[in-house]
Amino acid sequence: MPRPAHVLFFMVCAALLWEPLLSCSLGFAQLPVPEPPAAERNLAIVVNNSNPVNDLSMVDLRRVFLGERGHWPNGRRITLVMLEPGWPERAAVLSSIYHMDETEFNNHFLHGLFTGEVFVSPKTLSTPEGVRKFIFNVPGAIGYLRASDVDKTVKVIRIDERLPGDKGYKLHVPPRENR
Amino acid sequence: MKFSIPSLNQAFLAYGPSYRKIPGKTLLLLLGMLVASPMLWAQQSEAPPASDSQAIKELLERVAELEAKVKKMDQLEARVRQLEAEKQPTATAGSAPVPGQTTAAPGKDTEPQEEPPVPERMDVSKTLLRMRGFGDINLHGDNRKGDTTSFTLGQLNLFVTSDISERFKFLSEIIFEGGPDNIYGVTRGQNNTFSVDVERYLVEYSQSDYFKLAAGRWHTAIGYYNTAYHHSTWFQTAADRPFLFAFEDRGGILPIHSVGISASGLIPSGRLGLHYVTEVGNGRASRSALTQEPVQNVIDDQNHKAYNLALFARPEVVPGLQVGFSAYRDLLSPINLPRIDETILAAHAVFVRPSFEWLNEALVVRHAPFGSARAFRTPGFYTQVSKKFRSYRPYFRYQYVNASNAEPVFPDIKLRQGPSVGVRFDASESVALKLQYDYTALRQQPAVSALAMQIGFTF
Repeated sequence: MPRPAHVLFFMVCAALLWEPLLSCSLGFAQLPVPEPPAAERNLAIVVNNSNPVNDLSMVDLRRVFLGERGHWPNGRRITLVMLEPGWPERAAVLSSIYHMDETEFNNHFLHGLFTGEVFVSPKTLSTPEGVRKFIFNVPGAIGYLRASDVDKTVKVIRIDERLPGDKGYKLHVPPRENR
Repeated sequence: MKFSIPSLNQAFLAYGPSYRKIPGKTLLLLLGMLVASPMLWAQQSEAPPASDSQAIKELLERVAELEAKVKKMDQLEARVRQLEAEKQPTATAGSAPVPGQTTAAPGKDTEPQEEPPVPERMDVSKTLLRMRGFGDINLHGDNRKGDTTSFTLGQLNLFVTSDISERFKFLSEIIFEGGPDNIYGVTRGQNNTFSVDVERYLVEYSQSDYFKLAAGRWHTAIGYYNTAYHHSTWFQTAADRPFLFAFEDRGGILPIHSVGISASGLIPSGRLGLHYVTEVGNGRASRSALTQEPVQNVIDDQNHKAYNLALFARPEVVPGLQVGFSAYRDLLSPINLPRIDETILAAHAVFVRPSFEWLNEALVVRHAPFGSARAFRTPGFYTQVSKKFRSYRPYFRYQYVNASNAEPVFPDIKLRQGPSVGVRFDASESVALKLQYDYTALRQQPAVSALAMQIGFTF
């Protein structure tokens, strides 16, 4: 029969060995790659809060982004805001809305300005914060932000009657690299 | 956080080999701790990840805030430098805005009323000129008697625009080009001398998408090509324009340019995407000798005006497709000839996507001299197809125009038809190299074979 002291010693040793083993194994369990929240993966189309438009179809959104529409229903001139090349949000917009690459996008607007069909070229800003602030300040502005970057200074509009996070919403952006 | 188990280890190690002498209460305490440790661990396994991710999130947010502050500092420094530069006596008015001036990041919780709105950057630059350049240089040779193989400087195009206000805009194309001119087959001017033409000169007013007004000199909305490519060879796939749409001073038969006013816009038509263009202008010169400047920039030689109406559709179901037609009317009054009623009817169907284009246009120019039963009809068409393979875009074009030998306005044209084949290579985003071969059959003259190389660019 094992002595109680031996049993106790064994249990203590087990506890001592158990902890680092658990820590080691739990180390993997404690550092899972977290699934980015939905707001991080959805791309919101945002306008100035004073803009009466709340909903756009994907077709109309494309026309606006292509510069084929120059005015909002209230008569305000549309000012399109783009992020600088390199942002995943811009890449998502080029892919999902324009169906173009950077070169084709540049040629489209250069040609549009040249023919006069595009009244004003897009405004390019360097950060999402800049986009948010520009849209906050310019009544006719429209742009895009990661849904997690949206605050109440701008208004998110529905695309095909869906908001970011709704089932069937079509505009998505890859998670940020530093996550 | 691993705060409890290490303390247990330390407690045990403190006892060391003398565990046999452990008192009963201490043993009970150790046993209790041992029993409690899984529970403690169970609590840790939940708590630490949450606190870790929270800490990481806070750190990332902090890093983002710091980055934003650094950018803001950079912008402020740039602004200070700009203001200092503006104070210099040599500084010119209307300096360029600081890049990213409006990009200062507000706090994410910024309330709209907490921060005064920053002026829109466009307000600063609205009346500033924006300039874009286009140009081309060519090497051309053909088998026509008297022609030499030559390097040729093409048009140097300065495309200038300015946002005058939210609804007004200025647009112009200022062209430097070498002579001589060729107007209806008659050469004018000297070889190898450059002249300046203001090919487009427009003030545009945009009331809405349904109504835009423009005044000045524009490219007449006859067909598609004339308003799609203007004076930039870099935009167009082929090395040259179809001869139906050649410029007036390069032997063309159409009133490519007009001076007057025009209205354009959308027609509410749902998915059909209908557009209209109406133009009223001076029309082409006719009373003076036909070899003079054909575009009446300053003085119309008669009170009668030229009218043009164009309608086209861009149906939503086929992106890239455009179909349309136009009708142009004018009255010409050549010297020593009866007045001529001019009508130009054109139709087009084009399909243009970034990697594929198919252009088809046909038109007829009708000249009906007053008092004569005979009307001269000059039909013409071209079709052009190209497909892009990476940086290469091979293309094929066939063109045709057939004017009567007795045509009163452009008797030199007669019959011209034939194919062109070529390839465009986009050496960079802004430079295109083109190689083109043309075969043109002529009425009562030998056919012409020509080879051209071109470098077209934008800058």
